Amino acid sequence: MAGEKSEFAFSLRHISKRFGPVLALDDISLTVRRGSIHAVVGENGAGKTTLMRVLYGAISPDSGQIEIDGRAERIPNSAVAISKGVGMVSQHYAVIPELTNLQNLMLGSEPSRWVNPPALKSRAESLATKMSFQFDWDSPSSELSPAGAQKLEILKLLWRNSRILILDEPTAMLSPADGDALFASLITLVAGGATVVLVTHRIPEVMQFCERVTVLRGGKWIAEKTVNDLNPTQLASLIVGDGLPTVEVTTRSTEIQGVPALTATNVSIQGDRGNLAVEGASFELRAGEVVGIAGVDGSGQRELFQALLGVRVLKTGSISLGDTRAEALTSARRIASGLRIIPEDRHEEGVVNEWSLEENSILGLQRLPDFSLRGAIDLKSRRGWTERVADRFATKRGSTKQSMASLSGGNQQRFVVARALESGGTVLLAFQPTRGLDLAASARIFEAFRLATQEGRAVLLVSFDLDELLLHCDRILVMNRGRLTLATTKTREALGDLMVAA
Amino acid sequence: MKWRLVALIAGCLVVLAIAVAVAGKSPAEALSTLLKGSFGTTMARTGTLQEMTPLLFAGIGVFLALRAGLFNIGIEGQFLLGAMTATYAGLRGPGGPFGILLAILAGAAAGALWALPAALIKAYRNGHEVITTIMLNNVAAAFTTWVVAGPGKAVEAGSPTSANLSPSLAIGHIDLGGVSVSYGLLGGFVLVGLVWWWLGRRVSGYEFRVTGANARAARAAGIDVSRNYLQAMLLSGAIGGLGGAIQVLAYEHRFYDSFSPGYGFDSLGVALLAGAQAWILIPAAGLFAVLAKGGTALDIFGVPKGITIMVLGMVILVVAAVRYRREATSE
Repeated sequence: MAGEKSEFAFSLRHISKRFGPVLALDDISLTVRRGSIHAVVGENGAGKTTLMRVLYGAISPDSGQIEIDGRAERIPNSAVAISKGVGMVSQHYAVIPELTNLQNLMLGSEPSRWVNPPALKSRAESLATKMSFQFDWDSPSSELSPAGAQKLEILKLLWRNSRILILDEPTAMLSPADGDALFASLITLVAGGATVVLVTHRIPEVMQFCERVTVLRGGKWIAEKTVNDLNPTQLASLIVGDGLPTVEVTTRSTEIQGVPALTATNVSIQGDRGNLAVEGASFELRAGEVVGIAGVDGSGQRELFQALLGVRVLKTGSISLGDTRAEALTSARRIASGLRIIPEDRHEEGVVNEWSLEENSILGLQRLPDFSLRGAIDLKSRRGWTERVADRFATKRGSTKQSMASLSGGNQQRFVVARALESGGTVLLAFQPTRGLDLAASARIFEAFRLATQEGRAVLLVSFDLDELLLHCDRILVMNRGRLTLATTKTREALGDLMVAA
Repeated sequence: MKWRLVALIAGCLVVLAIAVAVAGKSPAEALSTLLKGSFGTTMARTGTLQEMTPLLFAGIGVFLALRAGLFNIGIEGQFLLGAMTATYAGLRGPGGPFGILLAILAGAAAGALWALPAALIKAYRNGHEVITTIMLNNVAAAFTTWVVAGPGKAVEAGSPTSANLSPSLAIGHIDLGGVSVSYGLLGGFVLVGLVWWWLGRRVSGYEFRVTGANARAARAAGIDVSRNYLQAMLLSGAIGGLGGAIQVLAYEHRFYDSFSPGYGFDSLGVALLAGAQAWILIPAAGLFAVLAKGGTALDIFGVPKGITIMVLGMVILVVAAVRYRREATSE
């Protein structure tokens, strides 16, 4: 092979990795052809990200070999991976908001000690032009949208001359239009000889943009196929395996007759930058229905959610919980009146990572009579409650005393969702409740939402995943730059139009 | 990874031995002097327990604020204000148990009041408590000096000091085989128990800890974060002031310039050693007291007292290394 370029960009051979008792990767091989987009798919915990982190040098495998351009390589850390032309954009962007876009672009690979801005800027500009991206290099990155941050991350790889680009769930935070634009630029890249590995759980992306696909399940290699030989259903069953959960799309009555559970009238909310984040929003959530809020990230969903929860004040308008006026109530009072929350970011808002499951099990519910007896915590009932919450969605765990941090991300999310669902209440506010969950787990959560509505509860759901909203919501509201409209036609295209219409 | 810890401790001991040797003494002798100075006689033991009392109270104050996520460096100033206020309340007020209670309450109130500006600035303007409390420490030092050198100075005194309190205002002690243990110190043990119970068993204590562990999660859980910050600083200040009052009523019976040799600052180390466990405050305050008391003996023996500060620094280093390593590996 020496001297002659291999047809393959890289190959991972017989990679195994064990974390404690868990065999995260079990003898997995992956070979990717140069100049292609190769998908690695699977549910949460399938090992997709772990496998790619092995190639990126962030995890050292227990056994197995790595070849890049046909040469055997040892990759002890990411610096070596980068020097071999391997780059990775992880799910959580590493853009530092305080730095300018140019500084972020160079971060970690400044060309020399003496930085020469004009020359750097012209190189940055030429890279961006090649990808048809546009950046104001001197403005702070805090002003970037999620899509902008993603583009900057990809440029960062090109800045470092990466020829193998690993993208981990790149469209998770993007609108459909931004997602399509991303793939258009990836196609440009591979046409120029780069290789892209796409880690994803979204089947449509794979079908539309990828050449080949490798399926992992539970740390094992399941299949590798050419995408053209597959249909979406076959791919889904490869991903989920035999235990395909029956996603019961219950036929829903189009006319929901329940009483109003949550009403917002002409709500306007000030954003952090002094702008109006939400403008004149009105809606009625009735007992027994699941209502979704679609929209490009940053359209005001977050501010609306916070105002409903009571941690952001209304500028105008009113909110009612049942027939109680709620806009002047504290969050604690709203929770006492039946509001339950699945917050957006579980690490930042949903749990205390270092604490035990028991301590986390009453977070947000601590003042409810079930858990507090004249101000005292009922430790015994808390233990039983923790078990009930953990068992609701079969959270994989040891004892109830173990720390939240010792659970995997998916299991933490199961816990947070179960905590909100099992504790009664009349209205459930959920912000991206299935973020980080696989198909089967997501399906079970929506099944649980459906059950809750049959008991007369109401669910308001913010999501960036149109398919999820279309499949599970009785009605869909679309948020577009702070304005809320009801979608009358429930199709991807109609929603997409409403999301970006001027 | 046990060997790393052993290596760390061994390294610390070697550095200390070298430091003692540089001072021109034998390390073994220095150690025995230190232990004799703090444990050797009943008087030494009494002195160590006395030294422990202010460290324990101030340590509890710092610990409590830390549980809500605030670093109350102002405990020194709150301690001083508490001591001074308790003294003058004792001088003006009635004698006997009721007078003691009044002086204690006045001291605690003064400590809380001294923390109030920092508390308000933190809770409602998000100004960092470390900056504001450091400033208030300087104000407290200057203010108490002025009071005790000017309007509050005892008429007959030659140095800046208050008059002595009436003996009926002295907090008593029990005698354990010649070692006297003040009820003030026992009160500190009780307070540790109360803090443990409140934080672990009460909903309000739980909310207090959530605020410290993750303020955003606290907000999402319907907890009033600003109110908890306010409460944390005021409670912490009150306990600091209480410590000052106990110091006056149990041991000093008057207030004077440079009343505290830095109990407030040492108590930051006590609280850091305790981490999240209230009961560790007791051995931690004990350790600091042993080193302070033994350090005086070392000084007489000819080894600079500063060496005990090195010991404390190393203890904190080792504890921090162990704790953060455990946190890092539990992720």
